Formats: sequence, structure tokens, C-alpha cells
Amino acid sequence: MTEEDRLHLGPATLASRLIHGTGKFPSAQVLAQSIAVSGAEMITLAVRRLHLDGDRRSELEGLDLARYHLLPNTAGARSAEEAIRLAHLARAAGLSDFIKVEVVGHEASLLPDPLATFEATSRLVAEGYTVLPYTSDDVALALRLAEAGAAAVMPGAAPIGSTLGVLNPHNIRLIIEECPVPVIVDAGLGAPSDALRVMEWGAAGVLVNTGIARAGNPVEMARAFAAAVEAGLLAHGAGLAGDAVEGRRGFGASTPAAGLPVG
Amino acid sequence: MGELDTALELGSEQLRNRLRASRLYVVTDDVSLLDSLPGLVQAAVAGGADLVQLRRKREPWTELVDLARSLQEICRRGGALFLVNDHVDLALAARTDGVHLGQGDTAVQEARERLGERPLIGLSTHDSEQALQAQLLPLDYIAAGPVRATPTKPEGVAVGFQQVTAAAQVTRVPVVAIGGLDEGASAIEAGADMVAVVRAVCAAPDPRLAAQRLRREAQAATSWRWIRLNGEPRKSPPGETVLELLARLGVGRSGVAVEVDGRIVPGEQLGTDVVREGAVVEVVHFVGGG
Repeated sequence: MTEEDRLHLGPATLASRLIHGTGKFPSAQVLAQSIAVSGAEMITLAVRRLHLDGDRRSELEGLDLARYHLLPNTAGARSAEEAIRLAHLARAAGLSDFIKVEVVGHEASLLPDPLATFEATSRLVAEGYTVLPYTSDDVALALRLAEAGAAAVMPGAAPIGSTLGVLNPHNIRLIIEECPVPVIVDAGLGAPSDALRVMEWGAAGVLVNTGIARAGNPVEMARAFAAAVEAGLLAHGAGLAGDAVEGRRGFGASTPAAGLPVG
Repeated sequence: MGELDTALELGSEQLRNRLRASRLYVVTDDVSLLDSLPGLVQAAVAGGADLVQLRRKREPWTELVDLARSLQEICRRGGALFLVNDHVDLALAARTDGVHLGQGDTAVQEARERLGERPLIGLSTHDSEQALQAQLLPLDYIAAGPVRATPTKPEGVAVGFQQVTAAAQVTRVPVVAIGGLDEGASAIEAGADMVAVVRAVCAAPDPRLAAQRLRREAQAATSWRWIRLNGEPRKSPPGETVLELLARLGVGRSGVAVEVDGRIVPGEQLGTDVVREGAVVEVVHFVGGG
């Protein structure tokens, strides 16, 4: 692997383009094995209250967290303020300046609140965090987040936990092509083919949680996702034959640009 | 046994004042021989038991009258209060300081009518609803438990310290925590006014020393103040630092973050920042997430 094949995110340099989630795994042991076979170097985490009594064992107990780049999320936040508070707690708990900003704007679908996501991203960038915002598949918003200083943008392929795959391939591809910062496709990737597809388009990486955790055999599925991500990266590097075809995306304004009463 | 000397009996108000200052409540077991109980109670009271309860489920109460009278006398001389379990008739016959009732025993109202105003009445509660209902009854304390599973009450489902806290939140009378306790502080921390034990004293190699230790631990914990910890009412000793609070929870400083009244406590201040009364404390750690 050459230096060019590595992904630079703030202070981290990653050889693996697969970011591994840690929620919803059947056991701590399966999670640890799954991460190990996937080759992932960055894992996501959440911040929650410590149980005061009784069993404190968590799904993370089999992991040596010092071996990974930790990407804590702000899941559960409903406003920019709540996301910032969770980011502060995550930094205090983990000595990691990475934060995946996640602000839910619609409860039923868990789709992000674009305005609060932008606000939290801007403020956390100003505080020195390496911010990776989870965002909707909106190219204009992705560009704004990049402008605000996001280290990468993480558009959702489909609602969190849905495993529906890439619902709007056109938008995801547009973001990948237009965004000046790395694009890591997050949420909803249900099968290795979904990951392969977005990597072929040039995504910098993918974040997979439910697709692995809820597979029949999570450890084997982690292996499959890792292979797909690798294949997609190679394919993109090689250049897809279809990309050479003129007018592939086939879109254009219905309204004339000329004659706009400005300037 | 001759006539009881009622002149030395504590009056209604004295009994209740004494109850409020009580910390250690020793309940006799069902395995010791009856003949050994006076010696055991003597030792427990010498060690610092504030209340003693004669709890025997096997013998009919009529066989316990003389024993109850002598235990009442031992307690009176030792400055402790004496109650019997279940039987209002026994309490009347031995003129005890009071009676402790279970949910299935004689109704509290009926017991009060038969006993009159003076004797103390305590009631076992096992959930918040029972603790709340008890507030409407003419009683003097409630017990909350079993905190832990205990061979003394094999049929009882452990309700944990949460139930002690819940009872403490709704009660107007003292709360006694009971069930598998072998330490004085934990129940007081959870909000109890008193700690009740059976085996921790009765089965101890030296019941007096055991009572002494438990009384000391319970008393030391009474100065603890309420705080709100991870959304739950909890207690914290005066002057406790955040780091000491973490140690009490059984966690170190690594991998956790602490927020007090909305501000994160920086690592270097964990050992110096004191948890004040009424503080809202959040202790978080990493869990799995996507």
C-alpha cells in the first residue's frame, strides 16, 4: 500500500477504509473478533451513563481501546447543544478529539437535523475537534459542512439501522464527486455490495454497524465487508469503464440560467 | 417471672425520640436455641444495638412470653428498644416497646387499636406502593427489603438498594433497610435511617463486636448528604471528592467522564473537587454505538 492509498482524517492515518461500529453485537466476544478480522483501525462508540449498581460489563470489555482510533458519536442528541455536551463528555472520557456529530431531527427515521448538525460541527471545529458529521444525502449541506471545517462528511446511505442500502445513489455519488473533504458513507449499508458500490464511486470509506452486527454470522460478514471495501477502493483507483461515457449523470436545469435579473 | 415494673417503661414520646436516633436494629434468628437468646441480645445491646426484635416463626407465641419479658428487661437496662415480630398478643403479654408486622400479619390499624398509643409499630414493605400506603397507617417506622437475597427469608425477592431509596423518598417515618446486610453504611447511603441485620450479628463469632462495628458504620454514614447521581437520588459523605465518589462506585478515572452541575470536571481536579450537597453529578463511559 502506498501513502496515497491511506486515508488522512485529522491526526489519524488509516490504511483500512472500513470504520467499524460497536453497537448491537450479540456479544463482546463476537464484536472483538469482528473488528479483528475486518482490519478496521477506527471504531465508533457512544457515551452513556455508567450503571450505578449491578452488572457493569459492556460490549466493549473485550477490546483494547488503546489500539484503535476512537470515533465517539453524539447519538441521542436532539440539538446542537446536546451534541456539544456529549462531545465534551466523550473527549473527557477518551482523550480523543474525534467526534462523529449526530443530531437527530426526525425521531421515527433518525434522519439528521441539518441546521443543528451544521451548528454543532462549526462550534466543535472551533473548539479544536476533528469533526465527522453524520448528514443527509444533500450535496449543498455536505459542501457547507466541509467549508465549516469538517474533517470528513458522512452522508447516510439510508436511515440508521435500516440496512436498506444506497437509497439515492445519484445524491451519494454527487457528494463523493463534489466534496473537497473525504466522504465516508455512513448508515444503512446492509450488504457488502452496498459498500463496494460507494467505494467504486470514490468514497473515502464506509462506516458499518448494523450490517455486520445483525448478520447471521457477524464475524464472517465483517470479513466480507472488508473485502468489498478493498475491492471498491481498487476499482475506483482503476477507473470504471462507464465513467468514460459522456453525459453519464444526465441532468440539467429545466429553467434557463440566462436572463436571471442579477449582476 | 413476676410483675413487670411498668414505672421504668419509656413513655410514648421517649420511645419515638429513641427510635429517631436509632441506627442499628438487630433481629433474632430462627436457628439459635431459645435459651441462648438472652445472652445474644445482651451482647448485641452491649455492642450498640438500638432496637432488638424477637423473631421466631416456629414456636407458638404463647411459649415466648417469658422470653420476651426477659429480653424486654435486658433491652431496657441496656438502653435499647425491644419489639416482637407478628404477635400483638405477645406484645401485650410481655408489655414490649412495640411490635413489627409483615404485610400479611395483623392489620396495622387493628394492632394500634389493641396496643394503644404507646407501643411502636413497624411494618415490612417490599415495594414503593406498600411504602406509600404505609404512610396513611398509624405506624412508627417501615422496613424496606429484602435488599439482598437472604436465607432468613428464602421466599423474598431481593429488591435492592433502589427500593430503600424509593421508600426514603415517600416516607414520613424512619426507614429500616433489611435483607442480607453485613455492612452499616450502604443502606444509610441509600437513604435508610436504620440498618437491620439478622445473621450479621446473630451468626457472628462475636455478636457484640459485630454490633459495635455495624453501629459505628451506620452512624458515620448518617452525615451523608443527598446528591443526584446519574439521575438517581444518592448520598455522599461530607467532603467527598469526585475521585472518592468514583472509587466508591468501583471505577477508576480512566475511561469515564464526570460532569458536576453541567460542567465537566477536568482530570486534574477529580481528586480535589468536592461533591457538594444537592450536586447533580453525571458519570459516563463508553458503550457500543454506531
